[in-house]
Amino acid sequence: MTTTMSPVLSDPGPVDAEHALEGGRTGIIDRVYGLFRSIPTGALWLIVIIWSLPTLGLFVSGFRTADDQRATGWWELFGSSKFPWVVDPDQMTLSNYDQVWNTKTYNLQASLLNSMAIAIPATVIPIAIAAFAAYAFAWIDFRGRKPLFIATVSLLAIPLQVALIPLLQLWNNGAHYTIPGLDKTITVIPDFDLGNTTTAVWLTHTGFALPFAIFLLHNYISSLPKDLFEAARIDGADHFTVFYKLVLPLSVPVLAAFAIFQFLWTWNDYLIANTMAGTNPDAIPTTVVIANLAGDFGANENLLPAAGFIQAFIPILVFFALQRYFVRGLLAGSVKG
Amino acid sequence: MSDFVSKLGSTLLTVVIAVGGSAAIWVGANLVLNQIKRSWARFSLMIHAGGGFAIGVLISGNQLTKYSSPSGNAFVNFGYWVWLPLVLAFGAAVTGLLVARTEAATPRIAIGAGGFGVLGLVVGVLLRSKAYPEIEIVSLLLSVVVLAGIGAGISVLRKRPPLGGALLGAALGWVIGAFGFPDLTGSSGWAIVACVVPAVLIGARLGMTMIPDQAGQSAADQRGRAIVFLAPALLFIFAALVVPTIRTIYLSFYDADSEAWVGFRNYTTVFKDEKSLDLSGWDNIFTSRLFFIAVFLLIVFAILGAKGRTQTGRTVELGSSSMFPLLGGGMLLAFAVFTALRGTIMNNLWWVVVVTFFSTGLGLAIAVLADGARLERTAKSLIFMPMALSLVGASVIWRFMYVARDSSKEQTGVLNGLWVGLGRLSTDESPAPTVVVALLTFVAVAVFGRFVVSRNFVGAGVTAIAGPVLIWAAYAIWNGLSGEALRVVIGLLITLAWIGLLALMARALVVRNYGGAAAPGVVAVLLGWFLWRYWAITGGGVGGQRINSGGRLIPGPINFIQESPFNNFWLMVVLIWIQTGFAMVILSAAIKAVPSELIEAAKVDGATTQQVFWRVTLPQIATTIGVVVTTLIVLVMKVFDVVKVMTNGTLGTEVLANNMYREAFSNTNRGLGAALAVLIFVSVLPIMFMNIRRMQREA
Repeated sequence: MTTTMSPVLSDPGPVDAEHALEGGRTGIIDRVYGLFRSIPTGALWLIVIIWSLPTLGLFVSGFRTADDQRATGWWELFGSSKFPWVVDPDQMTLSNYDQVWNTKTYNLQASLLNSMAIAIPATVIPIAIAAFAAYAFAWIDFRGRKPLFIATVSLLAIPLQVALIPLLQLWNNGAHYTIPGLDKTITVIPDFDLGNTTTAVWLTHTGFALPFAIFLLHNYISSLPKDLFEAARIDGADHFTVFYKLVLPLSVPVLAAFAIFQFLWTWNDYLIANTMAGTNPDAIPTTVVIANLAGDFGANENLLPAAGFIQAFIPILVFFALQRYFVRGLLAGSVKG
Repeated sequence: MSDFVSKLGSTLLTVVIAVGGSAAIWVGANLVLNQIKRSWARFSLMIHAGGGFAIGVLISGNQLTKYSSPSGNAFVNFGYWVWLPLVLAFGAAVTGLLVARTEAATPRIAIGAGGFGVLGLVVGVLLRSKAYPEIEIVSLLLSVVVLAGIGAGISVLRKRPPLGGALLGAALGWVIGAFGFPDLTGSSGWAIVACVVPAVLIGARLGMTMIPDQAGQSAADQRGRAIVFLAPALLFIFAALVVPTIRTIYLSFYDADSEAWVGFRNYTTVFKDEKSLDLSGWDNIFTSRLFFIAVFLLIVFAILGAKGRTQTGRTVELGSSSMFPLLGGGMLLAFAVFTALRGTIMNNLWWVVVVTFFSTGLGLAIAVLADGARLERTAKSLIFMPMALSLVGASVIWRFMYVARDSSKEQTGVLNGLWVGLGRLSTDESPAPTVVVALLTFVAVAVFGRFVVSRNFVGAGVTAIAGPVLIWAAYAIWNGLSGEALRVVIGLLITLAWIGLLALMARALVVRNYGGAAAPGVVAVLLGWFLWRYWAITGGGVGGQRINSGGRLIPGPINFIQESPFNNFWLMVVLIWIQTGFAMVILSAAIKAVPSELIEAAKVDGATTQQVFWRVTLPQIATTIGVVVTTLIVLVMKVFDVVKVMTNGTLGTEVLANNMYREAFSNTNRGLGAALAVLIFVSVLPIMFMNIRRMQREA
C-alpha cells in the first residue's frame, strides 16, 4: 500500500520502523530493499496488463483464421515465426472482418446505422429537453418549484425493468384509458405503430435519461453567477433569449459531459434495444446483433471478435478522445437509475 | 453498398425530422409567448389556435366524428386525422382575436360564447352516431352541479372570482354527464346539445378574461415560460416513467394476460419457487472447506481484535491487523453461504456482495498505487477503458477468456492456457515458451522505459539492441531444454522468492512490526502450499494437469462457465472488470481532493505512509466510498446483459433481471414479469432514497 515516500524527514519519528532500519546505509542489502520499494509500481503495471489482456486477446483473435482460432490460443500468433514476438503476416487474415461486414444475413452494416439512429437522437433530445427543464428549475420563479424538482430527481430511483412491460405495450398499441366505473375507453396516445422501430428505442432512452440529465444540468446551471441573469433582465431580455444566448454557451462543458455519458450508454445498451426492437432485424442495433451471434452456440464463434471490435470501435474512440468530459459526467452524478 | 447509403439517408432523415420537428415546436411555443408583451391580441389568437388544435386532435384521434376514419395509405390517413383539428384551430383563433380586440365586457363574453358555440355546433353535427349521447337529466344535472361547485371552490382557494371556476367546472361536468354515464345510443339532436352547451360555457369563461395590464402580462409571461420550459421534460417523464411504473405495479396483481385479479399470487409464486429460493442445502454451509477457512480467519480476527483492544481501545480499526482477517473471513463466509443456499434471489445477493466488494476494493487499491506514479494517467486510462465497452461486448471478451476445451486438445482460452500450462510445468511436460517470452519482454520494456524516463539514452540503446537478442537466446535455450530441467530451474527461482518472503517476515517480526509481517506471511503460506505441490512432496503437481495414482497424466481444464455454483463468480468477474475502473476514477479524484495540509501535518507528526493512508486519507474519502458502494449495489442489483449473453440464466446462474425478462417477454407471463420487476424496484428503493437524500444535502 505504500506509495512513493516523501524525502526522508530529519526526525524519522519513534514508530517509523522502516525508516529506522534504513538509517543512511547504502550497502547491497539496502539496494535489495530498495527493490521492494518499487513493488507498488510493479503491482500497478501488472494490474494494468491483466486488465488490458482480455481486450488485447479479442483484438488479436479477430485477425486469426477460424481454424487457427479453434486450434490454438491467440497468443500463439506471437510464437508463430522463428523469432519471438515477430508476427508471421501469413498467419494473419482480414477474412473475419470481411465476412462479418459483408454477409447480408448478419446485418452488421445496417445495425451500425441503427445504433446511430438510436444513439444520436437519444443523446441530443434529452440534452435539449433537460436543459430547458434545468433552466426553469434554476432560474424561473413559479410556485411549487422545489417540490417538483425533488420529485423529478427522485425518479432516478426507478430501475429500467419496472417500466419495460408498459412501455412496450405503449409503443405497440398506444395508450388507452378505461375510465373506472364508466366502462368507456378513451385513447390518450394513439397507436403510432412504433413497435419494433428504432424510434421506440430512443424514445425509451430519452424518458430514462431525463431525471439524471436534469439533475446533472441543474447542478451546473444553478451555480452560474446570479449577476449575469439580473444584468440580462435589466437589458430587457426574456427567458428564451437568456437561455439560448447566455446559458447554453456557458453550459457547454456540462452538456458535453452528459452527451458523452449518454452516447456511450445508449450505444452500448442491450436491454432496451432488445426489448423494444429485438424481433425486427431491420431495427436492431449492433449490440443485439452480437448477442444473437453469441447465442448461436459456437457456429459463428470465429466472427465474434471481429464483430465485437467493430461495435466497440466508436465508443473506444469517443472514450479516449473525450475522456476528460466523461470522467466529469461520472463524478458529477454517479446515481443513474 | 447502395443499400448502406440509402439506409444512411433514411436514418439521417428520421433523425433530422425528429430533432428538427421537436425543436420547431418548442421554439414556436417560445415565439408565441414573446407576443404576450408585444401584442396581446396576437398572443390570444395563437394560444386559442393551439388550444383548438389540441381539442381537435383529441376528438379526431378517438375517431368520434365523421370523416376521420383511417383508410388508405399513411398520407391519406394523416389527412383524415388532421382536418378537424385545423378547422377547430382556425375557429378558436378567430374567436380569440375578436375577444382580445373587444374592450367592453358584455360584448366580449357574447363573442366568446358565440364563437365557441359555433365550433361546438360543428362538432355536434359531425359526431358519429356511435357517439350520440342518451341524455339522462338527473345524472347530467348532478354532474354539472357537483363539478361547478368544485370549480368555484378551487377559484375561491386561488383568491379569484368563483364564477370563472364554476363555468369551467360546469362545462366539464356537462361533458362527463352527457357522454360519461349514459349509453351512447342517443339522437343527433341530443348530440348537438351535448356539444354546444359546454362550448358556450368555456367561450363565456374566456370572454370574461380581461386584457391584462403590464404587471399581469409579466406574470403571464413568467408562468407561460415555466410551462414551456418544463412541459417537454415533465410530459416525457410522466409518460415514460411515472405511468409505466404505476402500471407495472398494477399488472403485478393480475394474471399472465392481465385479465384476472390474482392478489399477491405472483409474489408468492416467486418466493415459493425452488428456482428462485432454495434453502434446502443450508447444512452444506457447515461442511464446506470455505466455511472452515472463514472460521479460522474469524478466530484470527478475534485474537488480533482482542489484542488491539487492549492497545488502542478498538477491536477493529481502519488498517489495523485485525481488519484483513475480518474482511477475508467475511467474504469467504459469504461464499460458503451463497454456494449452499441457491436460487435466483440468492444469486442476486451474491452478485451484489462480491461485485461491490471487489470493485470498490480493487478500485481503491489501484487509485492508491497510481497516485503520483509515473504515467499515472495512462495506467488509469487503460484500467478505465472497459467502461467504454458494452456489457455484451465485455461478455463476449470474457467468453474467450474462459474457453475450456477437451483435455486432449490445446487450450485456447487464456485462463485455461495458464492453468494447464502451469500443470504441464509442474509435471515436467512440454513447457509454454510464449509465457516466458512475454515475461522477458515485459522486463525488457520496463528497463527500456526506465532508461528513457531517466534520460539515460546509452542504457536505453543498449537495452533496445541487447534485449531482443537476449530474449531470442533465452527462447532458443528454452526450446532446447528438457521439461525436467525447466521444472527445476523455475522451481528453484520460486523457492528463492519464497525464502526471500520468509526473510522479510522474520525481519518484520524482529522489530515487532506484526502488521508488516502479515502480508509476506500470507503470501509465504500460499506460495509454500504451491511449492509443496510443485515439488510433488505429496500429490502429483499443481494446476490443470496432474499425475494420478497410476502415474498417468490427467489434464484438467476448469469449466469456468459450466460448473455450478462457482460459474456465478466467473460471471461476476466480468462486471468487476468493468466497474473497477469506475470505482478507481471516483476514488482517485477523492484522494486527490484530500487537503495536502492534512497529510503534511500528519507527516510532520511522524506518521508513516501507511499511517497517513489509513488514519488520514481513508477517513477523508469515506463519504465517496459510500457513494461508490451504493451506486454499485443499485447497478449490480439490475445485472442483466452479462448473464443473458454468457449463460442466459442456465446452469444455476439465473438473476432477477434475466428472470423478469424471460417471464415477461419470452413466456409472456406479464403478471409474474411485473412482480419480478417490482421486486427489483423495491430492493433498490431504500438505497436510492439514501442517495437522493445525500444529493439534496450536498446541493
